[in-house]
Amino acid sequence: MAAVTQTVEHVASLEGDKYKHGFVTDIAQDFAPKGLNADTVRFISAKKGEPEWMLQGRLEAFERWQAMEEPTWARVHYPKIDYQDLYYYAAPKARAGPMSLDEVDPQLLETYAKLGIPLREQEVLAGVQGAPRYAVDAVFDSVSVTTTFKKELAGAGVIFCSMSEAVREHPELVKQYLGSVVPASDNYFACLNAAVFSDGSFVYVPPGVRCPMELSTYFRINAENTGQFERTLIIADKGAYVSYLEGCTAPMRDENQLHAAVVELVALDDAQIKYSTVQNWYPGDSEGKGGIYNFVTKRADCRGDRSKVSWTQVETGSAITWKYPSCILKGEDSVGEFYSIAVTNGRQQADTGTKMIHLGKGSRSRIISKGISAGRSSNTYRGLVSAHQKASGARNFTQCDSLLIGKHAAAHTTPYIEARTASAHFEHEATTTRLSEDQLFYAMQRGLGQEEAVSLLVNGFVREVLQELPMEFAVEAQKLVAISLEGSVG
Amino acid sequence: MSLMQAIKARDASLLPSRRDEAWRYSDLRAAIREIPGASPEASRPTGPPPLVDVEADHEILVLNGRAEAKGFLAVAGAPITLRLRIVSDAEHTLHQSALTLDLEPGADLTLIETYEGQGSAYVSGFSLAISLGAGARLERIVLVDEPADAISISRSEIELQPGARLAQTVVCSGARLQRHETEVRHPGGGADVRLDGLYLLDGKRHADLTTVLAHTAPDGTTRQLTKGLAKDQARGVFQGRILVEEGADRTDARMGHHALLLNDGAEIDAKPELEIYADEVSCAHGNTVGSLDDAALFYMRSRGLPEAEARALLMQAFVGEVVDRIEHDGARAAVQAWVARRLEALA
Repeated sequence: MAAVTQTVEHVASLEGDKYKHGFVTDIAQDFAPKGLNADTVRFISAKKGEPEWMLQGRLEAFERWQAMEEPTWARVHYPKIDYQDLYYYAAPKARAGPMSLDEVDPQLLETYAKLGIPLREQEVLAGVQGAPRYAVDAVFDSVSVTTTFKKELAGAGVIFCSMSEAVREHPELVKQYLGSVVPASDNYFACLNAAVFSDGSFVYVPPGVRCPMELSTYFRINAENTGQFERTLIIADKGAYVSYLEGCTAPMRDENQLHAAVVELVALDDAQIKYSTVQNWYPGDSEGKGGIYNFVTKRADCRGDRSKVSWTQVETGSAITWKYPSCILKGEDSVGEFYSIAVTNGRQQADTGTKMIHLGKGSRSRIISKGISAGRSSNTYRGLVSAHQKASGARNFTQCDSLLIGKHAAAHTTPYIEARTASAHFEHEATTTRLSEDQLFYAMQRGLGQEEAVSLLVNGFVREVLQELPMEFAVEAQKLVAISLEGSVG
Repeated sequence: MSLMQAIKARDASLLPSRRDEAWRYSDLRAAIREIPGASPEASRPTGPPPLVDVEADHEILVLNGRAEAKGFLAVAGAPITLRLRIVSDAEHTLHQSALTLDLEPGADLTLIETYEGQGSAYVSGFSLAISLGAGARLERIVLVDEPADAISISRSEIELQPGARLAQTVVCSGARLQRHETEVRHPGGGADVRLDGLYLLDGKRHADLTTVLAHTAPDGTTRQLTKGLAKDQARGVFQGRILVEEGADRTDARMGHHALLLNDGAEIDAKPELEIYADEVSCAHGNTVGSLDDAALFYMRSRGLPEAEARALLMQAFVGEVVDRIEHDGARAAVQAWVARRLEALA
């Protein structure tokens, strides 16, 4: 397998620190004053030139948030967050005139080049012949800086733009769908997001349209002491199809940074959304200093009959992950899928999983979760599968496997199963095992070094999920998994 | 248990509710609006005890929270059978009691623990502290068979020494709210635990089987199998948690929960948890919820079996696995007979 060789080589070639995205870009930025109050909310809204109804929504959310309590049920531990000690808005200073790609700060473009994101269309086009092309929306700290391939997408009727642009250009769609899947009152972090979200991506695929290319967003936290609160909304109208990729990185810093995003997906009749994430926020150093707090609410609403949403996630970064991409299966015969790889090393803590809520007749779901914990990390799968009384014929299959590497790693499985209809069929299996000494020995006596052997075995363990990723991301994800586990054995 | 605290303070707001994670499927506060008065003394039951066919060497009766003894000590030697009979005979009143059971090293005890009730709408609390010495063996067979409007919470804490063996089977028919909790400290070192359960529910009965098992040192094994059937608007709850503490290496633990819903409107809630902090462990759990197999039913009917009989057969086959694991011959036969009668009501 070429990809495996590549991984092995990549691991071998690594020197020094393994987090290669840990640089800071020094560019002029606009900040909102530090701290959070109604004025901060107004400031953000004014910065974005939002209409009155958006501001009102934000202020209501802020009001609610103040009365809410931070949740403590997840199996993660961290010092109390001081919400007044954060910047809620940071944007690269805009120059006068329309933002064409040429006018984007060259340093910014350089950042993306370092991240390996082909922002310039010609770079994309100059890629391997026949390789699929990606339309990219890049979000830098709080704002979307550029979106590529807009014209071509518009030709197909697809709207792909930043959230602020969508609020201006397509208020009717935003009004109809924003907050309809994750209402502001949903949970503490979603509510905070509803008050202070700064930007994010917006996608609308009209009826019957198959989006002609993969859409992708790259999120980057750059500025110090900044929280990132982006909001993504994807709507696949009847019979539409879209595949969306999301990648995240941040510089290495000693303090913790907060990322509280909300992602909402809406799938109408016969629509399909494939949402893939490669999350590689800075995980902190091996002693647990620094790193991102990733407190994200992701939910898909399969409103339409025969609609389908598929979540695939590769989680290797973040000091703390608190994330449960979910599907509400309202439509008849709707389908929800969740494929996840969560790797924790050092002192990372991850509490992640999914919810499959079966409301529609004949709805089906499948969950494949692979957790790998190494070092002194803790990795929890937490999931809910429920079937409403009306969801006759609902089916679920869940498989959660955990792999432990080393003496001090922890792996937990906390599934909730709630069935209220006799014709539902739910199956759940979970296993926890250690990386097999025998297999390791076998691979090593065939001439592989220890880390190569670990990476080979781990890639075998997660293969079922990697297969669900679009190809380019699968290769990247495979490398990431290997890098994250570096130094975990021996 | 906060039931005890609530009773002591006579304050129903101290009761655990569904907002408490461990009680999310069994809302005790919603079931008990006010702490009822204490149950009066009652006269000894005249009827035969449940599982009467099992011969017992000793018997302890607990009647409306009044126990004949504070505890029981099983000494090493020949196998002993103890009958522990917890009887409620009360109307709208509350009673509770606690007992200890100690097994000396090398003791061999079969415990027949039964819960029964006369009257209605009583609240019964019972707790049992069990300790097993090194190499001791305990087979615990629990039958909880109470009126549909009763509220009954029973809880046991079990501590084992290395080399001890615990085998437990809890069989219950539910009540307005019935919960049986088992908490085990498993020392590894060749100690072996089996924790089985079976709930057979109809009407509006609610049964909750909750177990927490902690492996505290290396080389322990655990096998857990719980099955259940729920009919009408009944609700079955299984919460199983296996914790493997740091240092409890080479633990081997398996947990299974399988349930069938016999009609729409019944409900099964399950939460099988694994929490692992150790190395070289092998842990697994499986959970399924479904209904009786239509193809199997059709096959049996095509061979001339009436539908009710075919359903009863399938149910029997489904739950039989749990009953068959009971090691004590007399107890197994007695539980089999009780289950067969109960299945007739569910067919």
